[in-house]
Amino acid sequence: MAEDFGDGSAASAAADMEEYEMLMSTTDVELLKTAWRNEKAAPEILQFQAQLVKRAREQIQLMEETIEDFEESGLDPLTVSLYQMDLDRAQFLLRSYLRVRLRKLEKYMLYIWKNDSLWNRLSEPEKMFVQRCIDDMEKHLEETVLSKLPDNYQSARRQSVISEEDDMVPEPRLDTFVACKTSNSFVSLRLADSERPLEMERQDVSFVLYKVIEDKIGADIDLV
Amino acid sequence: MHGRHGRRLVKELASGEKGQLKPFNDELVNEVIKECSENFLALQSLIRKMQEEGLDFQTTRNADHYGALINHLSLIRNKRCLMAYVYNRAEMIQNLAWTVGLRLFELPQEIQEKLTHSEKEYFKRHSAALESYMSKADLNLNVDMVPPKDPYIKVRVLDDLGEGIVVSDKAANFASPLYALSQTN
Repeated sequence: MAEDFGDGSAASAAADMEEYEMLMSTTDVELLKTAWRNEKAAPEILQFQAQLVKRAREQIQLMEETIEDFEESGLDPLTVSLYQMDLDRAQFLLRSYLRVRLRKLEKYMLYIWKNDSLWNRLSEPEKMFVQRCIDDMEKHLEETVLSKLPDNYQSARRQSVISEEDDMVPEPRLDTFVACKTSNSFVSLRLADSERPLEMERQDVSFVLYKVIEDKIGADIDLV
Repeated sequence: MHGRHGRRLVKELASGEKGQLKPFNDELVNEVIKECSENFLALQSLIRKMQEEGLDFQTTRNADHYGALINHLSLIRNKRCLMAYVYNRAEMIQNLAWTVGLRLFELPQEIQEKLTHSEKEYFKRHSAALESYMSKADLNLNVDMVPPKDPYIKVRVLDDLGEGIVVSDKAANFASPLYALSQTN
């Protein structure tokens, strides 16, 4: 179709397209998708998107009601099924987002519980979940192994009483590489072992150390 | 020899198929725990010996000191092996709650047989924690595990069905040979 347009209108169509993409990327579904992708790709737990999740749930409920109404009013089944498809996707996205977080909480429960800034990233139900996880896991370890070991060696978190800090807590590997792109038009990153900063333009995909972009996730940079 | 049982324990974990539980190796675990106690006794008797000889344990660097140190190090190594064994199994048990079901009776008999009493209890408590989260979030997270696919599958009519099949309250009469049907039907 492009040959039908003159040069000027092709450019304006591209600009329209970009504008449309910008607009689309701010809808809640897209925001949730981005949050979900970030959470999936990041080795550690990220900030819980409380407002976004709340809005997504409201919208899902609204969609369910709409579909029910459509079905009652005998609307074209194709249209209804398209709505249903959209609803299914939104529900999967929300569930998967919460699930990815829970799996991380299960894996790094103590590490997250001990670190205040990570702890504050959790929602209230998540905090309660972690607390229960820790109790259950420690009780199980206690019953199976620790209670049978000599005194001074019974801690689940330290190898022995002479350890100066908790040295048996599973931790995520933060010195790992992640694929990411910028959500803004331009971002410059300072890499540890290179003199030149890494310059990223919109839609560029880069492969960098998680630690380098850790504090920019969700703001300037999204993981893919 | 120090630590051989511990190594076998971790090896057993590593050699198993990923995510596949083996029966809990009670015998080996008890061997390692026994070794820990022996290490501890040896450690204590060496410290006592040094104290009886009037030596300061913190500063003296003699054969007994290093003997005690070796016993301490084997002990914590064994402890790490034990903990790794039990902890990794516990992680597999967490996976079961996600992939199989939240209730103990939902687990196939052959998996249940591989769990110890404490592991079963752990499974129940962990599932309860998950359920409590889900009820607070008012959302069942154990469904929709895979992303929705294209909601339609193609159905080819091989034989004349006459009346037709009821598709979401509607009778489709299958006159033409190819249909797109919702997957749930």
